[in-house]
Amino acid sequence: MSEMKKVKNLKEFSTSADRFEGANLLCPGCAHSIIVREVLNATNDDLILSASTGCLEVCTAVYPYTSWDASWIHVGFENGSTAVAGAESMYKALKTKGRLKQPDRNPKFVSFAGDGASYDIGFQWISGCMERGHNMMHVVLDNEVYANTGGQRSSSTPIGSSATTSPAGRKSYGEKKNKKDIVAIMAAHQIPYAAQVAPNKWKDMVKKIQYGMQVEGPVFINAVSPCTTEWKFDPKDTMHITDLATDSLVFPLYEIIDNHELNITYRPKNVVPVEEYLAAQGRFKHLFKDEYKYLIKEWQERVDAKWDMLQRREEARV
Amino acid sequence: MAFDKMELKDIEVWDGNFAAAQALRQSQIDVVAAYPITPSTPIVEGYAKFLADGYIEGEFVMVESEHAAMSGCVGASAAGGRVATATSSQGFALMIEVLYQASGMRLPIILNVVNRALAAPLNVNGDHADMYLGRDSGWIQLGAYCPQDAYDLNFIAFKVAEDHDVRLPCMVHQDGFMTSHTAQGVHTLTDDVAYSFVGDFKPMNDMLDFEHPVTHGVQTEEDWHFEHKARQHNDLMTKVLPKIQAAFDSFEKLSGRKYNLVESYDMADADVCVVCMGSSVETAREVATEMRAKGIKAGVVGIRVIRPFPFMEIAEALKGVKAIAALDRSSPNGAPGMLFNEIAGALYNTADRAMLCGYIYGLGGRDLTKKHLANLYTELQANVDAGKITTQLQQFIGVRGPKLAFL
Amino acid sequence: MANIGWDEFEIGAMLRTFDGKIDDIAGTLQEDRAYSPNSSFVASVADWRIKKPVFNKDFCIDCQFCWVYCPDLSIIARDKKMIGVDMDHCKGCGICVEVCPTNPKSLLMFNEHTDEETALAQWPTKEEKE
Repeated sequence: MSEMKKVKNLKEFSTSADRFEGANLLCPGCAHSIIVREVLNATNDDLILSASTGCLEVCTAVYPYTSWDASWIHVGFENGSTAVAGAESMYKALKTKGRLKQPDRNPKFVSFAGDGASYDIGFQWISGCMERGHNMMHVVLDNEVYANTGGQRSSSTPIGSSATTSPAGRKSYGEKKNKKDIVAIMAAHQIPYAAQVAPNKWKDMVKKIQYGMQVEGPVFINAVSPCTTEWKFDPKDTMHITDLATDSLVFPLYEIIDNHELNITYRPKNVVPVEEYLAAQGRFKHLFKDEYKYLIKEWQERVDAKWDMLQRREEARV
Repeated sequence: MAFDKMELKDIEVWDGNFAAAQALRQSQIDVVAAYPITPSTPIVEGYAKFLADGYIEGEFVMVESEHAAMSGCVGASAAGGRVATATSSQGFALMIEVLYQASGMRLPIILNVVNRALAAPLNVNGDHADMYLGRDSGWIQLGAYCPQDAYDLNFIAFKVAEDHDVRLPCMVHQDGFMTSHTAQGVHTLTDDVAYSFVGDFKPMNDMLDFEHPVTHGVQTEEDWHFEHKARQHNDLMTKVLPKIQAAFDSFEKLSGRKYNLVESYDMADADVCVVCMGSSVETAREVATEMRAKGIKAGVVGIRVIRPFPFMEIAEALKGVKAIAALDRSSPNGAPGMLFNEIAGALYNTADRAMLCGYIYGLGGRDLTKKHLANLYTELQANVDAGKITTQLQQFIGVRGPKLAFL
Repeated sequence: MANIGWDEFEIGAMLRTFDGKIDDIAGTLQEDRAYSPNSSFVASVADWRIKKPVFNKDFCIDCQFCWVYCPDLSIIARDKKMIGVDMDHCKGCGICVEVCPTNPKSLLMFNEHTDEETALAQWPTKEEKE
């Protein structure tokens, strides 16, 4: 097992040589890129990467340009995770047979996919990878819609959000269903590590990614990726929105080890009301109409209940 | 070497599935990602048993669907090693988008397709519906008629697909149940001879070469897509048939068994001819010989290479024939059969345009009997005698109910 | 890369990031890597910008928030110091300005056509907290 690089502080982290390139086609202010950089910079080991069809894939590998400085594969929408699992299997086979070209390297296998590709169309594929125990990491870039195709709802879209296939209108407040708890579902596969991360807490993310890369077996990471285009906020505010997301506890940061140890890894000094988080995004603006204000109250109740549950699990050490 | 060799008898009694599993074992595959589906399941089970008994060294990944099986194969192949799997019917249909992805990415994956009907209604028996579904997927496609073929063609497939001038995935088709579950005496190759024919895997554009990182599976829009698809088609049209022929020639030197791009049987002076695929070819050959005894100059053209379609070679094989029957083992659902259309295409611009009729037969495992074929040859002869087609252009053989004939 | 014909590229629409062999990518700074013409590193998205960030190193404390939160790898950090902005890759999103903690900020957005000297001359002074 290789030594994980030491990242004491941000200055040290800034000496990383990025393996992801700019001049790609991602929107200005896109959080996907910030997350990918933090994940890739968490290690100096070689990487085998994949991306499922989605914003990241479509914006970083349009012929004749690639923004990837490590071997990378895109196959389809459902199967980025399985493609990496296949590559990991080939690595194991070639290692056993003594045919690796650089046998002393310790590559990390990471698949990236959006919430559409992970919660919905690729759900079974990821489940298969987690169940089979491949030594890989799946990172969800969760912007809570099918962003690449214009913002249609996915099973990650939260209640009250206006998406193009669950739009707010005269008779509707938008999405009616709440997001499923993907981290709990994946943890229930008895994988060694599942966690929720956010790009604003870079140190928390790097620590979790490093843990995930060192542990033997499948790892599942859900990363909140605020989308300036679909969540409807100014590109410069991406980190501000991410701060609201983590500080309002809408996106709590925690980890589940071996499906029986939950640790909360970020406790905001000042917890921000959920209303502030919702007010900052155009996709929720209709919730501030008198007839829908009750939904904001329900939002706060749900977030509080989830936070309460996480704390109880943490305390009970389950 | 951390695996045991197997001592095979010169002739083993194997069904098509086990023959394919043995060929896969002898080819020393690096990663097999697979999912079970009737009637291909025994290939995967046979492979798993070889692994459990220490005859194989490599990874065997039992994934959660056929789509995942081919997806895993694509990732493994792009990583850089020998990859293969097997499926049928619904599983083949499920992985169809990945088949196009694999060939577009020019990855040499070997797929054993044990041909079975497509639902609905649900059917586990042999016909060519799945084969026809994958027609345009950009894969090289070879057709086995019997377990011996299923065994031999796997070696040919690895050799051709992995060639750096080819780099295209390859299917080996065999009839579900009729070939896959029917045992026959199969002439074997020793483990060493089989492997030396296939050779070591030579990686190309492999992801696991960390000193040369590569990006696979890009997007190409209106400014690039046409060129990339044109390149793929060009390579299929110009490079593959010569490579297959060369592999057939080497294989003949090695084993004494001769395969041809088009399998002509008694065609030298044939007046009437049946063109078909799969196990029906062998039945047709027997019947053709019997018709000869009755004074009908009958021949058989078996399709061996389904893709790339040997357009010129088929036209050449059918030269001088007066009446041809194209047999399709898949319901065309509103059109002439695929083989009828492709042969018509090959013959349309030739000088002696024979009379061409289409027959749909054997769907869902319905038998094609010698009696059916004898009647068919008699019909063809009647066309020759009358100087025109005496039946409708498309007929169904062997289905209960009023006679079905169209066009 | 020019729009070449069907017979002039590698099969499978495969792309190579670097020209030739590269030993240790994570240990090699971008300026020392032999990027191929297919790496987006060699491309420019400067024409995306309407506004651009201008860096004033007089106030910078090298905290590197701008480096870590720049989506476009356009903050150049070397030896733990903020060196400047990569104007070929910067899309003008403005995140760097928002996350800059100094007072006054060490990065501010200006009109794309403003030249650097003018921008620096217009720099605001320290904001007094109420």
